[in-house]
This record gives sequence, structure tokens and C-alpha cells, in this order.
Amino acid sequence: MRLKVNGQEREAQEGTLLLDLVEVPTLCHHPHTETKGLCRLCLVEVGGRLVPACATEAQEGMEVRTDTEGLRALRRTLLEWLALATDLSQAPSLLELLEAHQGQPQRWGGLGLTRKEREPIRDNPFFLRDYAKCVNCRRCVDACGDGIMGVYALTLEDRGLLAHPTTPLDRPLPETPCVFCGNCIQVCPTGALRPLSMEV
Amino acid sequence: MEKPSLLPLLDARLPLNEEKVAEAARLAGVPLAQAWGVVRYYPRYRGLPQGRLLVDDPVARARGFARLLEEADGTHPPLGLEALSPVYVRLEGGERHVEHGGSLVPFHRFRLPFSLGHGERLLPPEPILDLEAYQRMGGLAGLEGLLKGRLSPDGLIQAVEEAGLLGRGGAAFPTHIKMRAVAQGEPPRYLVVNADESEPGNFKDRFLLEHHPFLVLEGALLAALAIGASRIFLYVRDEFEAAMRGLEKAIAELEEAGRLPVPTEVFRSGGLYICGEETALLESMEGKRAEPRLKPPFPVEKGLWGRPTLVQNVETLASLPLLLREGPGAWRAREPKLFSISGDVERPGLYELPLGTPLEDALRKAGGEPGELRAVLLGGAAGVFTRDLSFPLRYRDRLPLGAGAIVAFGKGVDLWEVLLGLTEFFREESCGKCFPCPLGTAVQVEMVRRRERDRSLVQHLGQTLRGSLCGLGQSAYWAYQSLLEVEGAA
Ligand code: SF4
Ligand code: SF4
Ligand code: SF4
Ligand code: FES
Repeated sequence: MRLKVNGQEREAQEGTLLLDLVEVPTLCHHPHTETKGLCRLCLVEVGGRLVPACATEAQEGMEVRTDTEGLRALRRTLLEWLALATDLSQAPSLLELLEAHQGQPQRWGGLGLTRKEREPIRDNPFFLRDYAKCVNCRRCVDACGDGIMGVYALTLEDRGLLAHPTTPLDRPLPETPCVFCGNCIQVCPTGALRPLSMEV
Repeated sequence: MEKPSLLPLLDARLPLNEEKVAEAARLAGVPLAQAWGVVRYYPRYRGLPQGRLLVDDPVARARGFARLLEEADGTHPPLGLEALSPVYVRLEGGERHVEHGGSLVPFHRFRLPFSLGHGERLLPPEPILDLEAYQRMGGLAGLEGLLKGRLSPDGLIQAVEEAGLLGRGGAAFPTHIKMRAVAQGEPPRYLVVNADESEPGNFKDRFLLEHHPFLVLEGALLAALAIGASRIFLYVRDEFEAAMRGLEKAIAELEEAGRLPVPTEVFRSGGLYICGEETALLESMEGKRAEPRLKPPFPVEKGLWGRPTLVQNVETLASLPLLLREGPGAWRAREPKLFSISGDVERPGLYELPLGTPLEDALRKAGGEPGELRAVLLGGAAGVFTRDLSFPLRYRDRLPLGAGAIVAFGKGVDLWEVLLGLTEFFREESCGKCFPCPLGTAVQVEMVRRRERDRSLVQHLGQTLRGSLCGLGQSAYWAYQSLLEVEGAA
């Protein structure tokens, strides 16, 4: 099967994810969870439409663009907004991306709502839940539920910018079905979930 | 496969406590985590604000919002009452009332208190609330035709195609294409009537549901028979209590008369703007947080419980009996559409007008004086401000028609105040599933507050919101961008 990426002819297997054919940043997608299509950092243009490379399969005759001016503005802006709203101090790869995209979060001025003021939750001896650093990618929720464990110790709270993971009935983790397998920590891309052994 | 839905189980247990949530989860056969995520998503399970609430719609924003708010305990999202605005809602305990013009009417009795405005129309101006009256005006003729074999299911879809009917919910997608796609899917198939209208400035579906329940039901039955659906669900906005009761009564009357060939039930919506997005709507029916799904797959292939599902807007379905009665050719020549007209016009209300009617003619029908207007908000929150009053009201032309909301603003109105209301609406209604929308709508509110006119910032805002997962985020900046254009043109 043939398609075009940024004007160049490419050969690909039917059903290959666009993500495997193009160079774009990702955040929500993780090969071990079912999360995809949420962060929109991996968006590419196909026939003038924006589609997430992590959730779109290659098709015969597709014309994919990854580097339009609009897409560059989109990635830069999105990273800037993330930095405005969230504490990225434990997410070095995101900070690198921000710099690579010449992000200047300050150009947007203040933000009325912020996630940064959330207090870390220390309710178990193994790991910390520090939602000031959470971008709500839902990898942890999926890892704990449908994706890997099937345990369902995590779910989601609230809507909009304040949406973030929580536990059933907001209980401390030891009072939930959590088995402390650590899968959620493994998949968390921002350091919002991190082992207590790493805290100083 | 189909399971008992979580939302009605929770509704039956209001007010909730932890045991009741756990019990509902058990009965629905879902993890407690899912039930808790749902409880922490929908306002009515979290606990609604109580007291006297000012309905926050574009018209109220144009009438000195800050001053009005002084008399209120808080705000309430738009309710399709723009033609009456400003309006207050009283919420006390489980009781809800509309407060308007000095009277207090319970939600379950409150119907839009006006008839259809002047215009060339197919729809009767006055409410038709019983079966006999509906049949007197020729109602159920289309349904009889289909049941007696005078019209085949495919013949009906063909008539819809010949009439050129485009979905009236805002997306303007050709109705027959969706119908055919579902009809070709594996049974069981479903029809879901999207009666969750919550777009600021729009009250056409509310009007149809409250004033013409039999017309809506006949349209739904026609569509269901055409696509071979085994069940019909009417997903009705939580606040439209009078409409829900009216529909339930009408369904019972049809059933009693032996005229209900497809099992039909009313489903109380989740009560949020996003519940009207068709995949979010399906999620909520399946007992989850109303968050849009990634598409593809589209609902016509994998909809409710993974089955082929036709999700169709109220006005679109209500058009079917009228379209059959007129004949597709005659219908197409006229292309009637309902417009909700409010704001600075003498007779705000609902008008049936042919598509292509110039905006200024529509305004005049409602007693508006085009020369006296600063701008018009066309298409609701996901719409645009315009001064182009010669614009022919047609789909896929220069401006988005949306579901047909027209809000007129006189010379004295500060449009930035109106815009601030719209942007706050988007920020409040963002579901938070994808990234650009919750972030961008929050940034946008701050930009509008400081009346930011920097072109590159506004452009980057738009480019980024355009990348959102669903239409809510994708259209959230249109009003902002268009106001800058209107200002530039002034
Ligand atoms: S550690 Fe607990 S919360 Fe995290 S994935 Fe494992 S079971 Fe779920
Ligand atoms: S805690 Fe980590 S994995 Fe979970 S949603 Fe937040 S950022 Fe994603
Ligand atoms: S655009 Fe907004 S409403 Fe739509 S999925 Fe994204 S966050 Fe939710
Ligand atoms: S990585 Fe593709 S949308 Fe997040």
C-alpha cells in the first residue's frame, strides 16, 4: 500500500498506525494502555483534516502532512498551555518539547483556573498521587482498569480543566481494590504518580 | 450487550449517598469506579446549586448581566428561554421552578408560552397535545402508509433523499445517508432521538417537544421503521420536564390506540451541553461519563451498546411526516426550517422560514429593525457575530447556521459582555477529555476578560482549539474571532 507523507511516497502495511510512519510528539498514547487521541499533540493533517496519528491507520492514497504552519502553532500552543496550567517540573521530556517548540507560556497572560495548587495525596506507603502535575492523560486509570489490571481502583473526578483521576468514593488507596502493582506509576508520563522511595 | 443503564438507577436513588451509589453500580453490573466517575461528572449527582439562579444566556448578558446577578444566588446554564430572557430559576430541595414575569411555574408544567410566529408554515401554530387533534390535522397518515405497505421503508428513505433533508441539529449532514447506513447494518439497530438541545439561543426542539409531541413521535416511528430499528429512545434534556411528561403521555396514547409499532421510551439526559454531542449522548445512555468518543467508528456502525444506531435531531424527525404530506418535491422547493429569534426584536419567538431567507427578512418577521442593530449572533454559542444582514439563511454558505439560533443585539449592547458569557459557557461545559479544549477555553475566558485583540494570539488560540476532539472545542473560538471581524468592519 502506498501513501504520501509530506509529499514523499511511502510504502506501508495495511493497518499500520500513522504514528509508526511519522515523527510527531506524543503524550497520551501508550502501547500498554488503550489511551489515545486525547492530548492531540500527535495531530497530523490528512486531506486538510486534523487526525491523531496515534489513532489513525494508514490507508491507500492518503496524503499526510506533519509540519504545516498550523500544526506547528498547535503543538507549541498546547505545550505552552500545559505549562501554564500544570506543574511540569517532574516531566523533563515535556519541558524539552516545550523548549524545542520555542514555547513561551507567559505570552498568554494569566490563567484563572490552574491545577498547580493541588496538594499531593499521601495515603499509602508506596506512592504519591500529586495531581498538581497531572495532565489528565488517563493512562493510569486505563492501566488500572480495562487496559492492564482489571482492578478498577482509579476513576475520574470532575469535568473540564479540573478533571483528574480519583479513587472510587474518593477513598484512600488502601481502602480500594488497589493491589499496589505499580502499573499506574509505570505509565504516568508526568511524575504525578511517583514512588515514595524517590522522594527526598 | 444491553445492560440496565446506570443513570436511571442513580436517578431513582436521589439524593445519593455512598451505599446508594454502590447499590446502583451493583444493579448496573459495573465497577464502583465507573459509578463514582459518573457521580463526580454530572451536576445533578454532585448536587445542584440551590436558590434563585439567573439563567445565563446571551440575551441576559446583553441586558446588564452584572446588575441582574445582584438579585440572584448564582447562575444557571441556558434553558432555551432566550425569547423571555432575563429569566430566573428557583431550585429548592428537589423542586425546580421557572420564575418569569412575576409568576413561578414548576418545570413540569412550564411550556414555552408563545405560538409559532408569522411565516409561511407547515407546522400548526398552536400546540397539539392529544391524538385526536393530531389526527384531525392529518397526523399519522405517513405512519399508516408505511404500515399498510403503501410506502416501503426504502421508499421513505428515497423520499428523504429527494427532499434533500439535511440534519437540523447543526451539522447539516444529509439525513438519508445516515438512514441508509444504519438500515444496512446488522440488527438489532436503534433509533435515538437527540432531544438534548442546550445551545444558547436555541429553543426550536424544546418548542416541538412541548407543543407537538405527536409530530415528533410520528417522525421517530417513521425513521425507526425505515431503518428497521427495534427500539426508540428519546434522549430528552433533563430540564425539559414538561416535555418528558408530554411525550410519555403521548406514547401511552399511541400505544393504547395500537399505533406504536416500535417500543419507545424516554431517557432523561445527563443534563449537560456535551450530552447533545451524539457519541457523548450514547456514552451517557450506556451509563458512563458523557465524553465524546473517538470517531471512527461512527454511531451508524457502532452506536448504542455497539449496535448500528441512528442518532437524529428532533426537528429533523419532525420534518418527516410533513415532508411525506407535502411530497418531497414540494418540500424541497420550500425547505422549511425553524429559527429561534430572540434579543432586540419586538416579537421574539419561533419562526418557520424557507432556507435561503435573508437574515434581515427573518429579523423583520420578528419585528426587528435591521438598521438599529449592532450585530446578530447567528448559530448560538458555536456560532458567529455578523453584520452581514443580507446573508441568505442557508447551510454551508459563508456563515454557520447551526441549529438556527438568531440573537439580535441593539446599538447599546456591549458585545464583549455577551462574548464573555459565551466563553464562560464553553469553559464550564468542556468535558475535559481531550487537551486543547479544557485548556483553550480557560485561556480564552482570560483573553476575553482583558479584551485581547492581538492577532497572532487569537489565531493560535483558534488553530489549537480546532484540534480538539469534538465540536465543542472545535467551535469554541468562532464567536471571539467573529467579534474581532465585526469590530474591524465597524
Ligand atoms: S498500583 Fe493500584 S491503582 Fe495503580 S494500577 Fe496497580 S492496582 Fe491500580
Ligand atoms: S496521574 Fe499521570 S497517568 Fe494518571 S492521568 Fe495524571 S498524568 Fe496521566
Ligand atoms: S473538545 Fe471539549 S468537550 Fe469535546 S472531547 Fe474535548 S474536552 Fe471534551
Ligand atoms: S499521542 Fe496521539 S493524541 Fe495523544
